[in-house]
This record gives sequence, structure tokens and C-alpha cells, in this order.
Amino acid sequence: MARRAALGLILVLMSVHAAGSARAAAPLRLGYSDWPGWVAWQIAIDKGWLREAGLDVKFDWFDYSASMEAFAAGKIDGDCLTNGDALVMGAGGARNVMIMITDYSNGNDMIVARPGIKSLKDLKGRKIGIEVGLVDHLLLLDGLKKQGMTQDDVTLVNSKTNETPQVLASGQVDAIGAWQPNSGLAMKALPGAHPVYTSAQAPGLIYDVLTVNPATIAAHRADYIKLIKVWDHVVSYINDPKTQDDAVQIMSARVGLTPEKYQLLLAGTHLISVAEGKKIFVRADGLGSLYGSTQNADDFNVRNAVYKQPQKIDGYIEPSLTAAQP
Amino acid sequence: MARSTLFRVLRPLSPRAKFTIGILAFVLPVGVWSLVSYVPAVWHPQIMITDAASVSYLDVGSHMARDAFDSEVADARQEGRAPPKGVRANPIYLPSPGEVLKAFYTSFTTPPETKDGQWLHQSLWHSIRIIFWGYVISSLIGVPLGVLCGAYAALGRVNEPFIEFFRYLPAPAFGALMVAILGIYDGPKIAIIVIGTFFQQVLIIANTTRKVDPALLEAALTLGTRSRQLLTRVVVPAILPDLYRDQRILLGWAWTYLIVAELIGTTSGITWFITQQARYQHFPNVYAAIAMIGIIGLGTDMLLAVLGRRLFPWDRSLAKFA
Repeated sequence: MARRAALGLILVLMSVHAAGSARAAAPLRLGYSDWPGWVAWQIAIDKGWLREAGLDVKFDWFDYSASMEAFAAGKIDGDCLTNGDALVMGAGGARNVMIMITDYSNGNDMIVARPGIKSLKDLKGRKIGIEVGLVDHLLLLDGLKKQGMTQDDVTLVNSKTNETPQVLASGQVDAIGAWQPNSGLAMKALPGAHPVYTSAQAPGLIYDVLTVNPATIAAHRADYIKLIKVWDHVVSYINDPKTQDDAVQIMSARVGLTPEKYQLLLAGTHLISVAEGKKIFVRADGLGSLYGSTQNADDFNVRNAVYKQPQKIDGYIEPSLTAAQP
Repeated sequence: MARSTLFRVLRPLSPRAKFTIGILAFVLPVGVWSLVSYVPAVWHPQIMITDAASVSYLDVGSHMARDAFDSEVADARQEGRAPPKGVRANPIYLPSPGEVLKAFYTSFTTPPETKDGQWLHQSLWHSIRIIFWGYVISSLIGVPLGVLCGAYAALGRVNEPFIEFFRYLPAPAFGALMVAILGIYDGPKIAIIVIGTFFQQVLIIANTTRKVDPALLEAALTLGTRSRQLLTRVVVPAILPDLYRDQRILLGWAWTYLIVAELIGTTSGITWFITQQARYQHFPNVYAAIAMIGIIGLGTDMLLAVLGRRLFPWDRSLAKFA
């Protein structure tokens, strides 16, 4: 009796497992999540451009951090991340290389202050609700640095990014740091609240990328090159005024927003075409280059003890696939 | 008189009283909710703007605290500008029962907007399947193991201290490990339900087994029952009604792990709906989905209770309180 039950269980487990791995056997499997620069892939998926290009690629939708878990476990071949988080994942043992840049945040990330605070300078000695160690913490430090201030000049209150609208509205902090839609919702929840620093003032501080398992590059080099070409098509489809409405329609449907509201999120995202991507892949200091930006993120991560060992930036960047585009 | 019949220790209610009070159990909380939602004097700490007038930073439909609104109106009046207008409102985190009821309907009738999207009933069905398999797998091992641990003290001693320890570990913390072993689709989600249910199950069922009436065992032994038969012919039948009730409680337990389980791997099921609607602050939809889970859970349990009365007509406690 017990033996039969155990056998049944094993069969059930095996079939569940087989269902998972059978689906996962052939195609390239990539993860994406809720950020305008990555939701853009939905256009290529819905329009059938991937198949048209002769690609066998399967995009799976994840919660952002769940996508990192899936990549770290080797269950997907590539994932859409920020360049800083690509380092975090690599430092944790999940080797990955960034092969293309999807976008940079161009205003979607904000430091939002309550009414009465006019600039970052006014935040001296005040409390700021922010998720410590994440990108908007980096944004805040960048802004403070430009004012000749440091983190010691303010008090950070560690808050979940999803909850920052309520945190600001509670009146217990003077500002919050968050990305869209949270930053926009924070301003809605506390009328008069306004951004005092945004990622539009620090373009390239945070690049969003497609990063892949280095072991897949040899076998799938041609596929990745085709995929980057499809991306270029996506960017021009979104940027072309004639097709933009259709593009926004597809993207907003993916996340359950109205197209009008989605237009705002898209405005704060600077999508990167292949031509522009080629320039960003050129090695240089400063935020105009993926190398400089990633070095900056590495310094930040080490300083904030996200991980201990500084990462070798070169090993994380593979410009040849973008460079191979016509 | 009415009072003396209602409040008597351990006395069952008359069928009519039982029905009425059962209805009241739902009417009362919904009544409080309606009161808070529809009677502005009760709470309504905010103002929803209906006309921004001369205040540039206000939008129609946005909410602000009442005192801040009052000071804006006072400022505008003093400077001779048109004052903004608004109505008292609750924070958007607390939608009214009417809004939630409407969302309940519309969320089922709204077609999926993407090509590979799912209707809400498909998402719900997916979630139910996750629960079902998690619960079945857990029960296949947990029930026999629980009975054995309860029946044989040595087996109980071998298993229970560790299980007792393990049941405190948070099941969601095993998410990453389960993804590594079982992939990104349904496997790890089912595994989290199993981890969340199994350890409680073994302990609860072992305890139930120990409560078997010793008089039954003595009688069986006197009649010459062998040790093996004692378990299958006496102990198991004796505890069956209680075991059934334990299993009902554990099914509810499995449901509580659904939301964390479905966040692991690819986002799916009702959790996808709830988290996505919450992220963009469509709270009526969120509450509607929460209500759906409650209705499915309560519905299943009531069904199982009726079935239980059919299966175990001799069990008094089921008849009385189920």
C-alpha cells in the first residue's frame, strides 16, 4: 500500500518534471519582467517577428527577482536586468554576460520630495525612504554627490519600493526614491509632491540589458545576432509616430494599464537602437559607456556590501554581438 | 427567553437560528465595511479632487489629505482665486463594496488583452490545479506517515522531533532551491504547497491517531486481533471521521501558501492577477480576487462537510458543528 503510494508519487513528480523540461528542451529561453524597456519584447512576440526571423525563442514572464532566481538556477538562458543587478547575480555565482542594451531610465526613476522641499539641498538632515542597495539608492547618491553632499548628510529609511507611495504619504519621511509606476503613484498619493532629482539628469547611470549565460553564446551566436536585429525593429516600431499607438497598445495590455497611462512610463524610458547601442558598448569612463556605468555600479555595490569582491567588468560585457549588426 | 435558548453551554442551535446567525456572520462585517465606505462622517480622511480650479498641481481624480485641501481652499479664497473643489473620500486602498462587486463581475468578463493572455477563470483554474496537486502529493505521504507515527511510538519518536523542527521553517524560503530542482513552471509551486502542508499534516494526523479510544483496542485484542490487523481494521476505521476533518483543515492550510508559491518561477494563476493589479493600484480588482479565493475555499469546505456527513453518519461532532 505504502509502496504503491510512493510509486504514484514518483510518477506524479516525474511527469511534472518532464512537462517542465520537455518544454524547456529546444528553444532559447529568456526571462522578462515589468519594465517598459523589457515589456517592449511583447511587440516582437505578438507580431510573430521572432518566428519570422527564424528564431526559436521562448520568453517567460517573471517577477523581477524571480527571474534572477530562475537564471541563477540555470533554468533560463538569458534575462533582462539592470547592469548593476547583472553584477549582483554574477557575484553570487551565476556567470552572465551582457550582449545588448535595451534602454536606460530617462526620468522613470525619481527622488520625490514632499511639498515644501525645493531641491536635493533641502534634504540635508532629513529622512528619505528608499530601498537600500537598489538602483534608486544609487540614483540618490549620484544626485547628492552633484550637490557636494554624501549619504551621511541624510538619514535613509529602508522601505520597499512598492510601498514608497504610502511611505511618503504617511508624512514620516521627507522624500522617497522609486521608479515608475511607484514614483508617479507617490506624487498622486501626496499632491504637491514633486521630483527633485530624476534619472533624466543622470542618463546612463542605470542601463537595462539582456544578459545571457556565457555557455550559450558559442552554440547560439547566430540566434543572438538575429534577436538583436529583431530588437532594432521593435525600437523603430515604438519610436515611429505612425506605429507608436499600436506599440503602446500591445505593451499596456501586457501589464494591464490603459495606453494613455502607459505612454507616461514609456516617456521616462530611453529605448536604445542598435546604432546607439554600438556607441555605448565602446569602452570609456563615465556613464556614456556601459563599461563606465557598470564600473560605477560595481563600486556602489561593494561600498554598500551588496557583495564583497569587486567584479571584473570586462568579463560581464560582450560587445561583439551588437557590433556584428549591419 | 430567546437569550436563554441561544446561550447554553454546548447546546446545538435550532436549524432556524443556525441559518440566521450564519447569514449574520457575513452581513455584519459587510455592514461595517459599507458604513465606512458610504457614510462620509465615519472615516473618509481624504478629499478626491473634482475640479482643480486655480491650483496647478492638482489633478481631477487625485486624492489629498483633508487638512491640506482645506488650507489650499483657504489660500485660494484669500488671494481671490477660484478654490478647488472635491468630495470626501476614503484612501484608494479601501474600495467600497459596490466597486468590489462590480470588479468581481468585470474581471471575469474582460477578455485577455494579449495573445497569450488568459481569462480570469483560466488563471483561477490554474491556481486550483496547483493546490490540488500540492495537497494530493502531501497527503499521499503525510497521511500514512502520520497514522504510523501515531500508532507506533518508535516511529513517532524517529520522525516527529525533526518534523516538529522543520515545520517552523518558512516554506517560501525554499523557492530558489525548488526552482533549481524542478524548473520554472508548476513544479516548484506545487513543491512549496507540499512543504507548507506536509509537516503540519504528519503531526496533526499522528495526534489524531493517538486519540483513538483505548477501549476499542482492548476489545479487539481480547477478540484475538493480530497486530497488523489492529492498525488496518481498528485504528484507521476508528479515526476516519477525525482524519477526514483534519484533512479539511489542511486543505485550507494549503490555500494559504498559494500566493507565495505562485510568485516562484514564471508568474501565473490568480497571483499574477492580484500582484499586477496591486502594482498599478487597481484595488477593487485586488479585493475581488481575494474574495474569489475565499469563496472557492469556503465552497469546497462546505461541500466536503456535506460529503463528510454522508460518509460518516455515525459521527456526532460532524453533524452538530459542520
